[in-house]
Amino acid sequence: MNLQLSHFQAMLLFALAISVAFGFLSRRPTLERVKYIVWSLFLFLLIGIGIGWAMYPLSR
Amino acid sequence: MTEETQVTPAPQHDAKRETRAVAIGLAGWILPGLGHALQKMWGRAAACFLTVAALVVIGAGMRGNLFTSDGGDAFASLGYLADLGAGSFYLLARSLETHGPDVSHADGDYGTRFLAVAGVLNLLAALHAYEAARGRKA
Repeated sequence: MNLQLSHFQAMLLFALAISVAFGFLSRRPTLERVKYIVWSLFLFLLIGIGIGWAMYPLSR
Repeated sequence: MTEETQVTPAPQHDAKRETRAVAIGLAGWILPGLGHALQKMWGRAAACFLTVAALVVIGAGMRGNLFTSDGGDAFASLGYLADLGAGSFYLLARSLETHGPDVSHADGDYGTRFLAVAGVLNLLAALHAYEAARGRKA
């Protein structure tokens, strides 16, 4: 088995899995869970991409 | 005016409940989601099982490093503890990694993190199931 993912795909899958798990463990009503999952996923991606851009000048 | 009464459970009842909670926590560690399934928390059970399984399958697919007990340093030992957190899925990851780990490029390095996070997440879920069985969390 050999899975080849881009950096973004890996980050997206990671963020999705963690957000879903945390959403189900920490919230009970379905609507609250969905809100938490969407918000958490958004923040994961925003912060991940933000850190990526912040490090961009250092890569040169 | 209402009268408040406090009912303190008998110590024997407490011990029984604690034993059951520990068994549920262990079950949740061995098979992700089982701790919640035993308490009929089906949504949480499915979420734990599927997310830990997804992280393990992706991590092993990316040829992440699955640590063993004979790691040379503290980091390898910590990695082994994190990987072991996935319970029986540690063995699943081992069986999926037929060609062994490859951390010579980013994919393998990410895979290592996926596997470690699967273990830590499962430990968190098992602890949650234990606490729920003790009546501390809904």
